[in-house]
Parts: sequence; C-alpha cells; structure tokens
Amino acid sequence: MIKRLFIFMMLLLLALIFFKLASNYTENTQLSKLGQYYAEKGPQELGAPNLVTAVVVTYRGLDTLGEVTVLFISAAGVGLLLRRTRRKQDDEDLEQGDRAEETAGVHKPASEIVETATELLLPMVILFGIYVFLNGHLSPGGGFQGGAIIASGTMFLLLALPESHISRLLIATIESLSGFSYVVVGVLGVILAGGFLDNRIMDLGTYGSLFSAGAIPLIYVFVGLKVGFELSAVLDRFRKEDTGPL
Amino acid sequence: MVSTLINDVLLQPLGIYVIALGAGFLVPLFNRAHRGSAILVFLAALAAMVAISGINLIAIMNGAAPVDIETAGIAPPFSINLRFGLYEGGFVLAVNTAAILAALHLLPLLKQHASALLLYLILVMGINGMIMTRDLFNLFIFIEITSIATYALIGIERTGSVLAAGFKYIIATSIASSFFLLGTIFIYYQAGTLNIDDIIAHRHLVQGPVGFIACLFVLTSLLIELKPYPANGWGLDVYETAPSGIASLISVGVSAGVFFAVYKILPLMADYMNSIALIGGITFLVSNVIGLKQINVKRLLGYSSIGQMGLLTLALALLLQLDASSLLPLIVGGLFINHLLAKAGLFWLAGIINRSDIHDWSAIAQRPGLLFLLGTLIAALIGLPPFPGFWAKWQLVMLLADGGEYAWISLLLVGSLLEAAYLFRWFSHARAADENHANISVNFWQTTPVFIAALLLFGTGYGMSTVMHFNATYMFLPIVAGFVLLLIDGVHGRLKDLPMLVIVAAGGYWLTRDLEGINRLFSYLLIGGGLLVSIAAMYRNDARKGFYPLLAILLLSLATLLHSKTSLEFFFSWELMTLSSYLLVTLGREGVKPGLRYLLFSLGSAYFIFTGFAVHYAATGSIEIASLGASGDTMGLVFSLLAIGFVIKMGGFGVHVWLPDAYAESNDDFTAILSAVISKAGVFGLIIVAANLGVRSDIGLDPAYVLGWIGILTATFGALMAVFQEDIKRLVAYSSMGQLGYIVTGIALMSHLGWVSALYMTVNHFLFKGILFLSIAGIILRTNERLMYKMGGLIKNMPVTFVFTMIAIIAMSGVPPLTGFGGKWMLFNALMDKGWHWIAALAFFSSAVAFLYMFRLLQTVFLGQRKLEHRELREAPIILLVPQFVMIVAIMIISAYPKLLLDPLSVAIDPWLANTLVWNGAALQTHYGYWNAPMIMMVVGGVWMVPLILLLLMSLTFRIQKVEQFNIVYAAERPNRPEDTHFAYNFFAHYDRALGFLVRPRATAFWNTVVEWSHTLGSTLRVFYNGNGQTYALFILIYFVAMFLLNGGLGQ
Amino acid sequence: MSIIADIPVSLIVLCSGLGLILIGLWGMLTQRNMIRMIVGFSLTDTGIHMVMVSIGYVTGGTAPIINDAVPMAEAASRIVDPVPSALVLTAIVIGLGVTAVMLSFAVRIYKARKTLMIDECTESKW
Repeated sequence: MIKRLFIFMMLLLLALIFFKLASNYTENTQLSKLGQYYAEKGPQELGAPNLVTAVVVTYRGLDTLGEVTVLFISAAGVGLLLRRTRRKQDDEDLEQGDRAEETAGVHKPASEIVETATELLLPMVILFGIYVFLNGHLSPGGGFQGGAIIASGTMFLLLALPESHISRLLIATIESLSGFSYVVVGVLGVILAGGFLDNRIMDLGTYGSLFSAGAIPLIYVFVGLKVGFELSAVLDRFRKEDTGPL
Repeated sequence: MVSTLINDVLLQPLGIYVIALGAGFLVPLFNRAHRGSAILVFLAALAAMVAISGINLIAIMNGAAPVDIETAGIAPPFSINLRFGLYEGGFVLAVNTAAILAALHLLPLLKQHASALLLYLILVMGINGMIMTRDLFNLFIFIEITSIATYALIGIERTGSVLAAGFKYIIATSIASSFFLLGTIFIYYQAGTLNIDDIIAHRHLVQGPVGFIACLFVLTSLLIELKPYPANGWGLDVYETAPSGIASLISVGVSAGVFFAVYKILPLMADYMNSIALIGGITFLVSNVIGLKQINVKRLLGYSSIGQMGLLTLALALLLQLDASSLLPLIVGGLFINHLLAKAGLFWLAGIINRSDIHDWSAIAQRPGLLFLLGTLIAALIGLPPFPGFWAKWQLVMLLADGGEYAWISLLLVGSLLEAAYLFRWFSHARAADENHANISVNFWQTTPVFIAALLLFGTGYGMSTVMHFNATYMFLPIVAGFVLLLIDGVHGRLKDLPMLVIVAAGGYWLTRDLEGINRLFSYLLIGGGLLVSIAAMYRNDARKGFYPLLAILLLSLATLLHSKTSLEFFFSWELMTLSSYLLVTLGREGVKPGLRYLLFSLGSAYFIFTGFAVHYAATGSIEIASLGASGDTMGLVFSLLAIGFVIKMGGFGVHVWLPDAYAESNDDFTAILSAVISKAGVFGLIIVAANLGVRSDIGLDPAYVLGWIGILTATFGALMAVFQEDIKRLVAYSSMGQLGYIVTGIALMSHLGWVSALYMTVNHFLFKGILFLSIAGIILRTNERLMYKMGGLIKNMPVTFVFTMIAIIAMSGVPPLTGFGGKWMLFNALMDKGWHWIAALAFFSSAVAFLYMFRLLQTVFLGQRKLEHRELREAPIILLVPQFVMIVAIMIISAYPKLLLDPLSVAIDPWLANTLVWNGAALQTHYGYWNAPMIMMVVGGVWMVPLILLLLMSLTFRIQKVEQFNIVYAAERPNRPEDTHFAYNFFAHYDRALGFLVRPRATAFWNTVVEWSHTLGSTLRVFYNGNGQTYALFILIYFVAMFLLNGGLGQ
Repeated sequence: MSIIADIPVSLIVLCSGLGLILIGLWGMLTQRNMIRMIVGFSLTDTGIHMVMVSIGYVTGGTAPIINDAVPMAEAASRIVDPVPSALVLTAIVIGLGVTAVMLSFAVRIYKARKTLMIDECTESKW
C-alpha cells in the first residue's frame, strides 16, 4: 500500500513535469524549418505529392530502413523465442509446461458464415492493402499501412480458419528478398543518384501519376510486402499450434 | 559500376550498414539452402564490418578528412547524415572487434538458430548506428534496433530466470526510450530540426521550461541505459543470467553505443554537467562497494561493468568541465578500450569455465594458461600497467589534481581499490587448489577470443605508452623478459633458474649502468642482491610453473624503478613490482589469502604514492622526480602522501597486518627475496622522497617527526610481536618489520648521520635477513615443519646452517663485533644529536626485546633435544648455503672495515646533506664517543677465541658425560597436547603476562572491522535490487523526477 | 462551451497524450500481471504518439499532400508539419515490434513458470 502511495506520488510529480510542458505549449502557427523546406522543395525535388511519404521514404529514408529492420528483427525475435521446444533440450519444467499447454484448449471451429465471409473478403482486403502501398506517394497511406492491412487479412484468416496453413518458406523468402532489394535500391542511390536511398535513381515521371516519384513506389512495394508478410509471420507464431523453428 | 559499388559503398563506412543489413536479410534464405553457408555469411559480414571500420579509421588517423555520409542525396539537416570521424571510428572499430570475438565465443549457441545469427548481425549494426548517426530521431531508431535485438538474444536460452530478467530489462529500457522519444519530439518542437549539429548550432532555441524538460528527458533516458545506481537492477539481472557472450556484448557494445550517444548530445547539456559527473561517480563507487558482497561471477562482472560505465561517464563529464577535451582519446578512449577488452574477455572466460560461484573457480587452479588469462584481464580492469587503463587513470588523476578536484581523485582511487578487492578475490579462489573440485577440461579453441582480447590489451597498452612519450624500450623490458621466460616455462624446474639469472643480470645491468648516487647504491643492493638470493631458488626441483617469469619481472621492475626519471615511470615500475610480487606470494603453500591482503595493502600504498605524485604535478606541472622539491606550498602534503605510501609498503605500524602472513606463506626462498630485497624498494622510495623533499628547510619538520615515531613504533611492536610467535617464519617476518622500523626512523632524522645509519642498516638488513630466510628455507625443506617447538637439536644435523644463522643473528642484534652494532650505534648518536630522546629510549627498549626472540630462534631450533624423527636429517642443500656464505663474508668484511661501506654511502648522500662523518683512522667519531670497528673485531675475536681454545683443550683431556635424551617422566599424567609439555612452546609465557597486552592483534581487528563495515555498507546499498521488475521500473521514474528536482526544475 | 472552443485543438490532443502516458505508467508500475503491464506500455506508447502528432499540428493546417486541394504555391502556409507524421509512423512500428517481443517473453515465462506475476520472478537479485 505504501508502495502504491509512493508510485502515486511519483506519478503526481511526473504529472507536474508534464503540466509544465503543456502549460508552456503554444500551438505552432507556422511550419518548422524542416517542414517549410519539405513543403516548398519536396514536390519538385522528389516528385511525391504526399509529403509524409517523401519524408518517410527519402528524406528520412534511413529511419525507414531502420524501421523495416526493427520489424524484421522483432519478427525474428518472436520466432526465436516462440520456437518449438525440442525435447531433451530444455529443462524438465519447461517440458511439463509445454505438454500441459498442448493438451489444453482445442478450438471450436468458426461458423460457416464466418468462414465463407472470410473466403470472400480476404482477397479484397489484400487487394486493398496493395492499393494502399502502391499509392503511398499520392494519397494517405504507404508501405507500412498497406502491409498492416495485408496482415490484418492474415489475422482475419487465422481467427476464422485457425487450421489454415501459412507457408513459412514463402514468408521467409519474401521477407528476405524484399528486405535485400530495399538495401539494393538504397545502394543504387549512391551509384546512380545523389546518395544512399535517393529515390531519384528512376525518372520522377509525371507529378501525381501512379508511376512517378522515382523509386518511391518501388520501395513502398518492398516495404509493403515485407511488412505484410512479417506481421503475418508474427501473428502466425503467436498461434498456440506454433510449429517448428524458423 | 562494380568499382563504384566497392569504392563508394562497400569500403566506405556506409558499407557497414549495407553489408550488415544485406547479410542480415539474406541469412534466413542461406540457412534454408545450407546451414553452413549462413554461418559463413554471418562471420564474413562481421569480418567485413571490422575491416571497413579499420580501413577508414586508419585513413583518418593518417590525415584523411572525417567521412560524412549523407543520405537521400540531400544535404543535412534536411536528410539524415552519419559521421565517421576519429572518435566514431575508434569506438566502431573497438565494438566491431569485440563483436566478432564475442561471436566466435557464442558460435556454438548462435549457429543453432538462423534468427539468432541475423539478430546478432543487426544488433552490432545498431550499435554502429548509435555511434555514427547525427540525427536525434535516427539515434532513437538505432537504440531501438539494438534494444530489440538484445531482448531477443537474451531470451535465446529460454530458462525461467533468464526470461524473467529479460522481461525486466525490456520494461526498464522501454520506459527509458519512451522518455527519449518524448524529449526528442519537444526538442524538435523548439529547434525545428532533428539534426544534432543543427540543434547544437541553434541551442538558444531550446530554452525555457519546455527546452529544460526536453533535454532532461533525452539525457536522463540515455543515462538510464548506462545503468546508473540505483536504477540498474534490471541490467544486473541480465548480466547474471544471459549467455556470457550476449552479456559481454551488452556490457561493452551496447553500453559503448549509448555512451557515445551521451557524448554526442553533451553540448546541449551544459546545465547538467554536475549531475552527470555525480551520477557517474556515485555509480562507480557504489557498484564497487556492492560488488564486495557478490559471489556470483557474472553478477560480479555486472557490478564491475556498471561501475566502469560510471567511471567513463564521470571522466567524460569532468574532462569537459575542466576544458580538456583534447585528452578525450587518451583518457576516455583508454578507459573505454580497457573496459571493452577486459570485461568482454572476462565474460567469455566466465562462459567457458561455466562456474557461477566464485568458490568453484578453483577448478582452474591447475590450469596456468587459464589463470594467466584471468589474471591479465583482471589486472587490466583494475588499471595496472601496462594495460590501457593504467595510462588513462594516470592521465585522469593528473588532470584532476591540476584542476584541484581532489574529492574526485579519492573517489576514483577508493573505487578502484574496492574493485581490485573483489576481482582479485575471485582470482584468489581460482588460484587456490582444492581437491574437491575436479579440474575442468577446456578446448583450446574456446579460449581463442579471450586470448586475443588479452593480446590486444597488451598491444593497446603499449600503443598508449608511446602516445604518452613513455620510454617504453626501457620500461617494458620486465614484461618482455617475463614473456621470454614464459616460453621455456615447461622446462624442468632447476634449469629455468639459470636463464632467469642471465636475463635479469643482463637486463639489470643495461638498465642501471648509467645510474649514480643513491640509485647506484640501490642497484647493487636490489639487482645484485636479488640475483644472489635468487640463486638459491635452484634448491627446489619441482616444476615451479610461473615462478621464474614472475621473478624476472619483479627483479627487472626494480631495475626500471631505479632507472625512473619521472613519476610516471616510477609509478609504472612500482605497480609492476606490486603485481608480480603479489603473484609470487600466491605461489606459496597457503599463499593465496595472504597474497590478496598483501596486494590490497600494496595497491593502497600505491594509490597514496599516486596521489602524492598528482599533487606534485598540480603544483609544478612537471612529472620529473628531480623536481619534487619544487612543490612549493604543497611540499608537506606531497611528502606525507608519498611517505605514507612507502611506509605501508614497508609494513609500518598499524598497516603491517599484511606482512606476517605474506612472508610466512610465500615460498621459502621467495620470502628471502621479499624480506631482503623487495622491502628495500620502500626504503629506496622513502629516501628519494626524503632527499627531494624531507631535507628541505621550508617543509617544516612535523611530517618527519611523525615519521620518526611511526618508524620506532614499528620497530617496538615488530619486536614485541616476534617474541610471541611459534612459527619460525612469522617470527622472522615480524623481526623484519621491526628492523625496517629503525630504518624509517633513521631516514626521518633528516640528518647525515641518520641517513648513513639508515642506509647502513638497509645493507645490513639485506645481508642478515637474506641469510636467515635462506637458512629457514633449508630447515623447512629438511624438517617439513614451521613450528619451532616441533624442532630442536638441529645443530647436530645442520651445523653449517646453525653457524650461518648464529652469525646472522649476531649481525642483527646489534651486539659487537658484527655489523648490527655499528648501525645501532650510529642511530643512537643521530637520535641524540637531533634531541629525539624518547624515540631513542624506545629504540633502546626494542633492541633489548629483539634479543628475546633471537635467542629463542637459536635455542629452540638448534639447541636442546632433537626430535626422534629428525635423527636422519641432512645439512641444507649446498645451493642454499652458497648465497648465505657470500653474505656471511660480506658481513665479516663490513664488520671489520665499515669504512668500505660508509664512505660510498656518505658520498651518495652528499648532494643533499653535508658529510658529518669524522674519521679518526679507522674510528668513527661523534660527540658521544667513537667506534673503532677493526679494534672491536679483534677484541671480541680474542674474547671468543680464548674460552673456545680452553674448551677444546678440556674436551680433549677430560671425559665428557653426555646427557641422555628422552628421560622425562610424566607423573602419571598424560598431556593432552604434546606441545604443552615442550619447553619451547609458549616460550615467553612469563613475558606475555607483562607485555602481552601490547601485542593483542588490534591492528588486525581494526582492518577486519573495516572489511566488515564495507560489506555491511554493500548489503545496505543493494537493498534496492529486490528482483522485482516493477521496483526497478519505479526507480527509473524516480530518476527522472529526481533529475528534474535536483536541477531546479520547479523554478523553471 | 466557448472556453473549450478556445483551447487549441492540438493542446487537447497533447494533454490527452500526456494523460495516457501517465495512465500507462501507472499500469506498468502497479499491475503485477505481465500482460497488463504490456497493456500499460502500449498505452504509454500511444500517448507518446498522440503528443508527437499534436506537436506537428499547425493552426488551421491540412494534410501535407500537395495536389489539387493544396496547390504547391500555398503549401507552406496551409499544411501541417509532415515531419512528426513521418516520425510517428516509425514510432508506431517500433512500438509494435517491442510489444511483440514483450508478449513472446510473457508467453515463454508463462510456459516456464506457470505464472504471469512479475513479483514471482525475483530469483535474480542483490
């Protein structure tokens, strides 16, 4: 109880710090230096109407590559942690835990309506995801958002049809190749254009059209695929029936 | 295009990211194709990262411009850029090197899982990114990449405890990085940019309460990642439980990245400098106090890790505060590389040996190779020479002294001493052979990474010495000699002594050939005397692994000590001597525990000396020993600090507790070296200090007078304690302590006669202690006993030893005609001259006491009844007797013609104190009388010869009845303990009633209390580490709030 | 009513974000169940994202997409700052990654220990 009180007091003091932040906050009335530059130069420089995308993919492309990496390693980490216990390898406690786990919950199958709806909707969800990442440079959205939508389709599938099988090989291949291609595109930026991850290795095209903004759509395809498959892999690994090492 | 690819990408620092990511992404595919290829790709990528960082760092060191990697083809601050300059390059190369070695260590574990391989690669890349990026938000990303990869790798083994520790770690670091993100966004809000250089350039924009809090959040969260006390329990748990390779990478790699990040943002944090220094200092000190209580090896290393990061943080903040950023590479860089290699190596070693309790480490007691690695890494971590930490600490302490920061110096040295205590305690357990522990078998290849780390420590240590314009050619000679002898360490024991003698003689001659004055005198005594006593080492024919290399290091470090012109050289040699003599002590029968005490007191003594030199440097800006006298107002302080240091090393009163056990438990021949030779290093130091400082009229006499009292109390109590010993070696050890007390008093007199007497007694002490301990070595060799009441009547078996011992005892006692008399006579004269009458009275008293123990030594060992089992004993081996004989001859010559010795002594002292010796023919004249040594010699010789001849004649003419042995009758009483009925047991019981209260082990009790209190303090300070992840998280919150309040957040 | 209307919209988001951070921290510090602690972390994380978004807001600004709706010439004066939006995107993904790893730790701890209570996992200490 005393500990709780103490925690409460600490949070109160933290709230005081936050209050100082909030009370000294005034809403911006103009763009920051960076924002200004991106707003004025961005469209001509990179040819992407969606400035957020321009910032994400090119100006702060290294962040995005890092972000893809984060997702990649957390998927790998989840896979490493949730790998199936090989008998004799881990200690006895773990063994018993696993066995108890395996014999527990057996899923009740979803109703036919849900199953049918899933089969009907899933392609559309995935298609929508692809649409979102392909149009990332034009409209709100992008690789991550598209990838997340694709993964939500997977989620959907796993909930409705828990027995369905997702190919590990397919996931690993697409994950690896799209990640590698992303790095290759980045390196091409050094060789063909101004620097690492420069999107102007390809023609900027007509402003506002689908095939424009240099390599941005290409990068977003890789990112979208990678995110979609990685998130799917993470979801898949959290299934109780998780099998096999990566 | 290919050449562009190679030259503009892969060979550039950018290549590190491209290769790590490219390989990382592809590892799963390679793994599916072929397991081995994935491992190959993994190792190749790591090697490439090392190569790239190495190539670029070398280019920069050769004058190339720092590399700025701009991304997106847009100039910063509108895009993210990375920088690879000198500092970045150094850190990156060090981290990548450690990473590839850790990978080799971890390979058996990593190669089981392809995802572990890629996580490891990306973890290393993340650290590189943290070091190189110049963008605040990008820094956040790299921190997160590193963190997530770390989380996953911590959990690789999936036991309950490591998972629990990992979860706490995640909670803690994710709270910290949440605040980092919050701070970053508010800095962006004010500065309108995320580029660190741009923010620094516009730091005036980051102001007001919002700027204050934003900086606070960014800084504190980075500091939290460095695991400051007490918000670091989560880190400790992971160090304890995670696989050692991962723990090593967290300790040296991840911390390095975060540390560099702190360095990057420091220009924004001018207001927080004091807090940063304080946090670093407290963490360093407290972790080391708590470390004392720790017996789990990996957790111990955790405390040490945290302490070292605290030290680095402290050094960084202090350097910037003192405006000495030009010293960053030397001090911070040196401390960093030292920590990196030594700590990583120790973690790997801990992983290989795989014993969590330090008591179980006796499993490697019989493995010299492993012990060598362990010892090297620990010595490096403590900052002993020749490792990088030594140079960095030296420079840091000098700088702090220059800035008047003495509080920080004390904290630094106390912390280092504590760290030495628990790390060397660990080493002691590893040294102590224990039959209960089966020796472990270790694959040679497993130790390769550790071995490379140790080699790199030697290499970087040498490199740093050249940067500091250190005369390495001379000074590294002991180490080189040690390594050379190590190569032949497998040879039969006896054969190794000769090469050792040759190398030391040649090296010692080369080092000391140009010396003059006092240094020259001491070179004869220390090197010549050391060689003479070392000849006796041949009397043992066992393998004596490590003995000869260490002895060579020890003797040659004495030579470099004499050769030293600067305090740095002096301190370097001093520490080398300390370390090598410590290791030699541990080679003794039960030498491990006393050795540890010896080491800690020696290090304490070294730190006093160190501080004395630092004060001198601060006063004069010079490290020349010759300029000690120019210390101005601080002269008294410098003198006191140095004198305290040397007195501890000589076993002065109150700080002598290390001495008896260390002497008693060392190898018997090494005890002779320790007492006869090594103790003279303290005399040498003291006389150097006295010559440069003590004799100055402007110093004020007080410290010298105190020193005089310390000396005489040491003499008195040394003698008193010797009286009540049963163990022959302990008796002579206490005697040695007492005799050195007279020398201290002689030096403290600061008069010509006083010094002549001190130096004379020094030579004399060398001679009779050398003989005594070598005789004792022979006795112990034959009887296998050290307790005197178990001996007796050995005169029949070992007549030569008896004669030698007797002469040595007469020389020691100060009765005419032998050398001891002259020393005492001159000392009393000098004391009376000075008017130190009470000291003279005590000196007289203690000389009388000394008779008691000397008599007992002779009586109980050689006279009286012989034990049954000793009937067949032979005389001591000839090789033991030869050096003794040489010393006997020397005693005789000096006794008869003291002028031969006194003249050079007097000349050596002349530069400081004018000659006051008045010779009247062969007689030395003073106010109180004269001393005619040849005359005394003849008179006493005559007095001896007459009864001797008479007795001989009588034995020829009369029939002498021999007394039967073993005719004691117990009156129906059987003694419980055989020693109760032995006359030689508790020989001086009657004196014990009168004087015993003086010799109760009060000093030992005092030091035990000190140890006990440090442990209690340790237990108190660690109450926060209750193992509960939420408590740990709460401490992180408290840290933020406390930083806010302490830095005046309420007033903002 | 008018008082609330006078408060800038971004300040409301900011304060809600900060409040959410506090609630999340409360959860992480007081809930012994690891899953609940993870929920707490997610709340904190979301709170930070809200703060980030609010920082990027410019009074009266619209989405930073330069097309027919926002002509290029007026862009600088009509859009909100694209940078925080980009950052928040990255931050969300990172938060997701951390949460996923946290959850897998929780799953594994439960398997090894049959408990999710953080105060029952205190064997490493001192």
